Amino acid sequence: MDRRDFLKTAIVSGVTFAIPGIADTFLGALEAAEKTDLVVAHGISPAGITRAAVDGLGGIKRFISKGDIVVVKPNIGWDRTPEYAATTNPEVVSTVVRLCYEAGAKQVKVFDRSVVDPRRCYKQSGIADAASAVGGIVSYVDDRKFRDMKLPGFALKSWPLYTEIVEADKVINMPIAKVHSLSTLTLGMKNWMGMMGGSRGRIHQKIEGSLVDIAMVIKPTLIILDAVRILTANGPQGGDLVDVKQFNMVIAGTDQVAVDAFGATLFGLKGANIGFVVAGHKAGLGMMDLSKLKIKKINV
Amino acid sequence: MVKRIRIVTQGLFLLLFLWLFLQTEAKGANELGYPVKIFLDADPLIFITTILAGRDWYKTLYLAIIVILATVFLGRVFCGWICPLGTLNNMVSALKRQRRKTAAINWYRFKYYILIFLLTSSLFSLQLIGIVDPISLLIRSFSLAVYPLTSYATTVIFDAGYNTNIPFLVNISEFFYSLFKKIFLPFQQPFYLQSAFVGILFFLILGLNLLERRFWCKYLCPLGALLGIFSRYAFLKRSVSEDCNECGACASVCQGNAAPDLKENWRNSECLVCMNCDDLCPQNAVHFGFPKNQPVAGMDLGKRRVIGSILSGLIAVPLLRITPIVKAGVPDPKLIRPPGALEEKQFLRRCIKCGECMKVCITNGLQPTFLEAGIEGIWSPILVPRIGYCEYRCTLCGQVCPTGAIKRLELPEKTKVKLGLAMIDKGRCLPHAHATPCIVCEEVCPTPKKAIWFEQVKVRNREGKELILKQPRVDLEICIGCGICEAKCPVLGQPAIYVTSVGESRSRDNQLLLP
Repeated sequence: MDRRDFLKTAIVSGVTFAIPGIADTFLGALEAAEKTDLVVAHGISPAGITRAAVDGLGGIKRFISKGDIVVVKPNIGWDRTPEYAATTNPEVVSTVVRLCYEAGAKQVKVFDRSVVDPRRCYKQSGIADAASAVGGIVSYVDDRKFRDMKLPGFALKSWPLYTEIVEADKVINMPIAKVHSLSTLTLGMKNWMGMMGGSRGRIHQKIEGSLVDIAMVIKPTLIILDAVRILTANGPQGGDLVDVKQFNMVIAGTDQVAVDAFGATLFGLKGANIGFVVAGHKAGLGMMDLSKLKIKKINV
Repeated sequence: MVKRIRIVTQGLFLLLFLWLFLQTEAKGANELGYPVKIFLDADPLIFITTILAGRDWYKTLYLAIIVILATVFLGRVFCGWICPLGTLNNMVSALKRQRRKTAAINWYRFKYYILIFLLTSSLFSLQLIGIVDPISLLIRSFSLAVYPLTSYATTVIFDAGYNTNIPFLVNISEFFYSLFKKIFLPFQQPFYLQSAFVGILFFLILGLNLLERRFWCKYLCPLGALLGIFSRYAFLKRSVSEDCNECGACASVCQGNAAPDLKENWRNSECLVCMNCDDLCPQNAVHFGFPKNQPVAGMDLGKRRVIGSILSGLIAVPLLRITPIVKAGVPDPKLIRPPGALEEKQFLRRCIKCGECMKVCITNGLQPTFLEAGIEGIWSPILVPRIGYCEYRCTLCGQVCPTGAIKRLELPEKTKVKLGLAMIDKGRCLPHAHATPCIVCEEVCPTPKKAIWFEQVKVRNREGKELILKQPRVDLEICIGCGICEAKCPVLGQPAIYVTSVGESRSRDNQLLLP
């Protein structure tokens, strides 16, 4: 999809906050789109809102170039089926993989370092099947591919990180919004734990600094927060459908702190309530004050 | 000609065995999708002793009846044509130089005494068969030793290739590594307690072939003995015509201990139906067919020795049972059985220590016991959470158990089975003892309402600074003892939270809370 197509969708989909009105000139709309910090797409179809959210930011071609090797990093941490909202929605993942190929990506790799058995996580989450069906290269994490890397040192001076992410041309972070007993919520920054090697459970001792350290080095091209369903209790693993809330929403942005700060609002919280969001803001990683951001809301 | 057909058949069955062995591995779905335990199902010795010791007609073993019928009609074709351990013995035997006249040591009776011993003890509920049953022994040896060592050795070689960092070498090495991963390497390197012990026993059995070809099959195998009894009046019989000039060629090629050179006085129950004697007879005097009224030579095991074997089997029962483990109040805390395992006494009557559950265990947590369950329970499965926990939504061990020692559970039922209970070591736990935040046990706790909850407390550190910490507590009503908290506890070595068997669903006595 090129920019012209994008404009058409943006106008057709209508309800936007960032774009003042249809009366605006095309040029105006274009400018507004480029300045949009976050797009919040709402609708029944996970694929539809994912596409709309990316388009709202200016379309996939703004992020992915021809020949890119792209890593898509969903949360495949748990052995749960999609309706339990413990892992990223498979349809959202496969839509992003498809978009990347549409933009001419050479390879789109999909993986995560699961917490429990990876075979069950990949299969039961539906992500392995959904992503490979659209050509995604789904692989299990290979222990040999972690390399010690220097980190900013808010909490960690160095840690083994997954080389396939570090070496990729583009990285798309695809977390799902859930509660977590220590960090309150697990959103985009927390999702980077999935590329940490070693005995990563230890980072909970200094969780905020550790998450900022990792997020500072990875620098994703794009963050797509899956809130089709969110997990509101007994996170991050869940297991009871009572704790799942259907939100039918996908949030896209390029600022890791901003996306997570917006994610907090889904749970009735603010970015300022979340330790790692505040820490990220202070470290200059991004902007947690939503009032200073241009947020475009789309209904599909 | 017959020899070639036999070798091809043996090869095909060995390949089938190995292929099913490799399929005994989780792929992420709830079911394995292949009948991975059919060789165990087809084993008449397991079938009969399970009925005797378990006092129950276990239904999946009907294939064994087919093997019994085949033996009654055709003789020990299972030994000569099918048994994968027999085939491996054949292959190793090829390493032994064949001399023109090799006298067999004629210990064939010995395996019958082993059989009588085992049948007697199983009749009195002591199930030891799995230790020496060839199929059980083979699967256990492969699962715990041969396969892990193969994987380890292969991976070490390819890791070295990968770490050369010479792109050309890395590419070649990675190509073969990924190919081997697809064909035979395990998803992750398996590690087992007692690998070396189990492995050495297995390699000793193979090594015996250098002493005498198919030593195990001729002199030790209790399944061979059982099939020998069933084959005594087999319809397929060997006849020797008058052309025989007693050259003795058949004696040196006999795979059993059948003494084919003794003509009608041979031991037909020792014949593996390999038909080497028919193939190789220079006079073409040996024939296999279905004649009427062929005399059967008697089998003399010796009354005194038979009585001795029976008595040994009888004495073994109380001798192995006088351990405090079975006494109420003193179960071994580490004896955490797989989900669906029967109550301990019933479990030991059924478990044949074949290692299928350990092979399939998705986290490698199921390990062979040494003496935790007494000698009676040696190599039976226990969960060792530090090595691997019980995956909440996995039911594979119950699916592969050939005798029902581990019940096959459906998922909703399985997630409610308690293997034991977790308890916290407050002296090692970071939030309890060291004023340091940590929530890993709670995070990984898989029950829908988490069994681990927090008490929020204010503590002061050494500098007098006030901290608010979440200290974990275990809800014993909800905890299922899966051990993931212990497996993932960042306090390495001796963990700060650990599971013991107390509270296990299967036991009436090993309980902590009031019902």
